[in-house]
Amino acid sequence: MDKYLTLPDKQPGFSLPKIVVILIILASLAVFPFVFTNRFYISLINEMLIYGLLAMSLDVLLGYTGLLSFMHNAYLGISAYAVGLFLIHISPSSLWLACLAGVLFTALVALPVGWVQVRTGGLAFALLTLAFGMMFHTIVWKWYSLTGGDDGLMGMPNPAISIFGWEIANSGDPTAMYLLTLVVVTTCYMLTRRIIRSPFGAVLEAIRENEERAAFIGINVRMYKLLGWMLACTLAGVAGALFILYKGYIGPTTMSAFAGAGVLMMLLLGGMGTLWGPLVGAAIFIYIQDYISTMSEHWEIYLGIVVVLLVLFMPTGFVGLGGYLKRLRRS
Amino acid sequence: MGGSLSTAVDIILNSLVLGGVFLIVAIGLNIIYGLSRVMNLAHGSLYAVGAYAGYSIVGIGFNYFAAILLAPILVAAVGLVLERTIIAPMRKRSMIYTLILTYGLMFFLDGLIKYVWGNEPRFIELPTMIQSTIPILGTQYPVFRLVMLLITAAVMTGLMLLLNKTKIGIILRASSTIPEMVSCLGVNMKHVHIGAFVLGCALAGIAGTIAGPLTTIDPLMGHEMLISSFVVIVIGGLGSLRGAVIAALLVGAVQTLAEFFITDLAMVIVYMLMALILAFMPRGLLGEGKFE
Repeated sequence: MDKYLTLPDKQPGFSLPKIVVILIILASLAVFPFVFTNRFYISLINEMLIYGLLAMSLDVLLGYTGLLSFMHNAYLGISAYAVGLFLIHISPSSLWLACLAGVLFTALVALPVGWVQVRTGGLAFALLTLAFGMMFHTIVWKWYSLTGGDDGLMGMPNPAISIFGWEIANSGDPTAMYLLTLVVVTTCYMLTRRIIRSPFGAVLEAIRENEERAAFIGINVRMYKLLGWMLACTLAGVAGALFILYKGYIGPTTMSAFAGAGVLMMLLLGGMGTLWGPLVGAAIFIYIQDYISTMSEHWEIYLGIVVVLLVLFMPTGFVGLGGYLKRLRRS
Repeated sequence: MGGSLSTAVDIILNSLVLGGVFLIVAIGLNIIYGLSRVMNLAHGSLYAVGAYAGYSIVGIGFNYFAAILLAPILVAAVGLVLERTIIAPMRKRSMIYTLILTYGLMFFLDGLIKYVWGNEPRFIELPTMIQSTIPILGTQYPVFRLVMLLITAAVMTGLMLLLNKTKIGIILRASSTIPEMVSCLGVNMKHVHIGAFVLGCALAGIAGTIAGPLTTIDPLMGHEMLISSFVVIVIGGLGSLRGAVIAALLVGAVQTLAEFFITDLAMVIVYMLMALILAFMPRGLLGEGKFE
């Protein structure tokens, strides 16, 4: 990749007003289900949060490491299937163990795939993510006896959510699941932000800006690419565990190329290289999708047009819009 | 079914036919990539457009062989419009944007296909003279598959002559290695980019019309072909034309064998092969960017 990505302006660290705003947003999100008891909106925001986490994990890969993954949703799907199968076949009551197994399994699948992928160049990497993603989709789709094929994975038990033996709520309860998702996504965001702002994150950005120079100053490019890939896939795995607990169901369409394009569009809508941009992008995308898909069956055409227009005219997304307008006014 | 010999002949011929279709699509992709550094993810959808165009051309009363000539022209025209409007402005920017843009384009074209032709599978009506079968070494082989094989060979020969024996070919080959130098010699690189894209699209259109009668035509055929042609060009080496030839025949053979023995998960075997080759030869069989 010889030419650079167009990224939004760098955001400085946390300042006091920013912390206040973030706390207000978090508090209002936490209070939300108790004020608006409409289940539809609770599950809509829940979905936004889960897909926000997925888009954020893709941002680690694309916005920070400069590697494009077309089918990041495949790793969400793998984790969701693993958690579901664990709960159905192995132990229907141990929620945390199932989540841990799901995330670990995802990492285990992602490791050899990533190992092959980072050995090729930047372009072949992107093509391979598509090929491997399609492969996982085909496996899930065709392996009827294990995954239920087209019908998806059904008959998920609803284990209790408990901490140290103290039972808090049932995972079938949408409000409880919503709060759990909020806590997990917030934690993941803070953690990822910490990792990205560490020297490790700086190395990833160096690779994104210029792979050859990064190699010249002694960075093991392949290893760091693999680490970035593993971080992104593990986060996608966390999102997958949340996904199946909240939906209680997963089908192969969640892992399709079409859904993968949706995740990419969330990232583009929000703005790459910001971590919080994708969360905003996911919220916008899920809302629009919910709105349009009920009206039109030709959602594919609109998705395509919007992606093309976004790339052509608004590569920095909504997050970068402020900086873009500022520059426009100056010139 | 006959003995093992006839089965073997069946498999060999089928893998040649399948490999031939892969080859035409993958070569088109490789020509576009090699000359203008654009990886076109909508290529599979253009292939599907070619197949549907062939279906419609036959549908309004033309001969199938006329469709093989007309459909690629139609797809090439679509390609010309796309190149001028949205692909060309992307050349100045990071390749990642081109990838995402053409990915969006792929969904747009797929949606358009569903909108125009609907979701149901279609079949191209073949002329009666090639609908029969012919005995080859104990097996009854459909004539039209042999005709496809001949067409594939003719297309490849034509392409080889174009690239190796004509002045256009010299310009194209030179532009793939040192575009700056070719530009200095007074060749307008814009025209080279347009030519490469249109040529690639025409090849996708030909492949679509050839493959139409082999399989059913449905809106998802483009996705499958896109992935297969990726596998081919990644195994052969990005931008390497000879690599694509070897890889297409290899993938065609492996997929036919896998489909013969374990019907459902045949593609998984192909991916495994690709992963194995890339693990040891990350740049593909013949290395990247050898445009010859």
